[in-house]
Amino acid sequence: MKKKNLRFYIRIYFKILAQDLKSKMSYRADFIISTIGMILTNVSGFIGFWILFRNFPSINGWSYHEMLFLYGFSLVALTPVQCFFDNNWNLRGNVYSGDFIKYCFRPINLFFYYQSEVFDIKGLGQLAFGLGTLIYAWIKLGLAVTPLMLLKTLVFLLTASLIMIAMQNAAAAACFWIENSFYVLDLAMRFKEYAKYPVTIFSPVFRFIFTFIFPIAFIAYYPSLVILRPDEVPVLSWLSPVIGIVFFYVSYKIWMRGATRYSGTGS
Amino acid sequence: MSAIIEIKNVTKEFKVLNRREGLKGSLRDLFSRDYKTVRAVDNISMTIEQGEIVGYLGPNGAGKSTTIKMMTGVLEPTSGEILIGGVVPYQNRTKNAQEIGVVFGQRSQLWWALPLIESFRILKDIYQITDADYEGMLKLYRSLVDIEPLLHKPVRQMSLGQRTLSDILAAFLHNPKIVFLDEPTIGLDVSMKAKIRTLIHALNREKHTTVILTTHDMGDVDALCQRIVIIDKGKMLYDNDIEHLKGFFGAYRTLKIRVDGDLKAQAEEIGKALPDCAVSADEDWISVLVNEEKQKVMDVLAQLQKTHRIRDMQLEEISTEEVIKKIYEEGVQ
Amino acid sequence: MNLKKYLTLTRAGMIEALQFRLSFVIIAVGNVLYLIVVYFLWKSIYASAGTDIVNGMTFSDTLIYLVLATALFNFMEMYTVWEIGRNIQSGKIVLDLLKPIEYRKYLFWSYSGSFVMQFFLTFLPTFLIVAAVTHGTIPLGINLLYFIVSVILAVSINYSIDYIVGTICLYTESIWGINIMKQVIVLLLSGATVPIAFFPEGLKQFVLHLPFQSIYNAPLTILLAKDPAPESVLRTLGTQLFWSLVMMIISKLFWKVSLRRITVNGG
Repeated sequence: MKKKNLRFYIRIYFKILAQDLKSKMSYRADFIISTIGMILTNVSGFIGFWILFRNFPSINGWSYHEMLFLYGFSLVALTPVQCFFDNNWNLRGNVYSGDFIKYCFRPINLFFYYQSEVFDIKGLGQLAFGLGTLIYAWIKLGLAVTPLMLLKTLVFLLTASLIMIAMQNAAAAACFWIENSFYVLDLAMRFKEYAKYPVTIFSPVFRFIFTFIFPIAFIAYYPSLVILRPDEVPVLSWLSPVIGIVFFYVSYKIWMRGATRYSGTGS
Repeated sequence: MSAIIEIKNVTKEFKVLNRREGLKGSLRDLFSRDYKTVRAVDNISMTIEQGEIVGYLGPNGAGKSTTIKMMTGVLEPTSGEILIGGVVPYQNRTKNAQEIGVVFGQRSQLWWALPLIESFRILKDIYQITDADYEGMLKLYRSLVDIEPLLHKPVRQMSLGQRTLSDILAAFLHNPKIVFLDEPTIGLDVSMKAKIRTLIHALNREKHTTVILTTHDMGDVDALCQRIVIIDKGKMLYDNDIEHLKGFFGAYRTLKIRVDGDLKAQAEEIGKALPDCAVSADEDWISVLVNEEKQKVMDVLAQLQKTHRIRDMQLEEISTEEVIKKIYEEGVQ
Repeated sequence: MNLKKYLTLTRAGMIEALQFRLSFVIIAVGNVLYLIVVYFLWKSIYASAGTDIVNGMTFSDTLIYLVLATALFNFMEMYTVWEIGRNIQSGKIVLDLLKPIEYRKYLFWSYSGSFVMQFFLTFLPTFLIVAAVTHGTIPLGINLLYFIVSVILAVSINYSIDYIVGTICLYTESIWGINIMKQVIVLLLSGATVPIAFFPEGLKQFVLHLPFQSIYNAPLTILLAKDPAPESVLRTLGTQLFWSLVMMIISKLFWKVSLRRITVNGG
């Protein structure tokens, strides 16, 4: 057996991903409606945001455009989890029906194989919307456009993504241990709604909780500070890339442990 | 010949929740729970050689699936040892997966919306099959079945028979050492069943692949298996070749005769005359089940000819199905 | 109407809901986190605004409004669209249609069990906590009775809308897309995400003429009114009753027409 290196996995990834796109093309109506639904979700989220700021010029020292930046940042950061890890939503159903077992028979990494099976193209709409918001806020705030700034943005967007992916993996893996784990995943998804707000609005106790226990503040707030307020970046912001990688690794381990523990229901 | 599967004293236990009944029971379950341990597989041992086709039989819930899941590395045994080609499957799942193929009943492992050939191409990459081996395998498939119409058809548009056939071909594609087939002919019509049996037999012969077959269809067993293993309630009941099985409850044969007059009354009469045989009657025939170890069928026939005018007769061997049914119902003494 | 056969469905639903004790804990954690986020977010919003009353609503009013809107949402969400969609795709709907109960009723009563559980396990505790936290902001009097009547009407409107959207699944395979569109539109236009009082005037008038505001805005406005004029309560309840009847008729007709289509096409 040949060694399975990164190139092998990349090739397989695109092979399997291509099949998913081909399958989706055969359900065109579903694809169009889902895309519209996704766009509507983003638009309505934005309208809610806009209505709020019509009434209040700033929140806790955060101006409209700064909040908008945070909003766009979180949308872009949530794109990878939407695009590449969407199959997590089907995990519970697969485990419950016993279909999950078919993934266990292949000679490649289980987590990789499972996640590669679905690419959610709808996430690209969110990406476009988020990028638009981010760029608009960037210009309005008069932030500099330097290679360093762009690099920082990229790195910290990836960081934020990793943290969200980690949360979703861990939440999805709950189905290996408990029945009806839908609520766990649903809860993790609600976190991303809260990620849009600066953690400074909370009292110190809850600031601690939302930083270290439910690390919602890492999804957008801490990473975006590096770009948004370069003069007052807390240590936690600089640490967030490391935290992101560690979280992702831990969530991967949890997921895999759940999968190996999995025994399949019925025959 | 060398052992490809070695199973030694394997046991698997599950913890299951005892649910209480009714609304009150559910409310109580909310606060205190009651678990019990179920032994799905109980101290099973067997050795299987490369190239064998083994029928793995047992009633529903006997522990067949659990054993197969342990052999494929999906489940870890509670105790005991399993070696598949010298590898512990649970510890080396991916390595083991390279050497096995699996077809799990009606649960297709193919890509639903894609033509079969696309699924094959992905599998070729996943299992790292060389171009030469891949082409060789397709050539073999072409010589065995008419796959051309299947190759370009999306799996979801296939009939159940075509899908099963495709799933079996996909399982053999990377030339695994062992293929596990779980109920491969369930729900298929007679001619499709025959086609699939022929295919499995041919692939086993050509590639010397070990096949572990679980089924409830004794037609599959008769057509394919030299050896059968039977388990029930997790315990091994039988492990030997199929010829031996037929003599297991004694050498039974059924003599059927047709006579004039009221069959029921005469059957009763014959039953009294032949205390060693079980006699019954249906609308056309009187059936006499003879244990050849005690009494030869020819002697019985001769005896009956003295008392009755026999208009027609048939001789039936006991079928595998009947033996298996007897084992399920009565166990092995 | 033989009530017993419906109550059997309610009881079965309650037993089913009780099977998953962990989900109660998770739902509770999720709700508490949500309460915390909403509390601090609006606290800092009002702190930044500099006035106590914005658009006629105090901080306590807004908090109660939003928290109870979410509690009502959790309580009313019956996943009807999912259920209908899935039953259509799996073909199980044929079996359900053969049952000697009208499908619309069958579905409703099957879910009424988790309804009852949701009410006692999430809505009531949330209500009590909020009432205690904002001590005295919720007037405790005859308005509670109006509120209950209003909620019942809201449940009916919500169910009819869900049923209409579920029926659309007979025409398209896109359950997710349709469901997300419905959810987004209902939540925004009903005032569940931002109170309708904060909407700009034009949008407010528009939204007040749609059925959605009868789901969340109507019962919550009735609940929070200090000394409501009987006419205004009657007008609100009257509007709800109107929409409840209209939506019920539409949903029944739409289902009937659509079903005929299926029977003709052979499903």
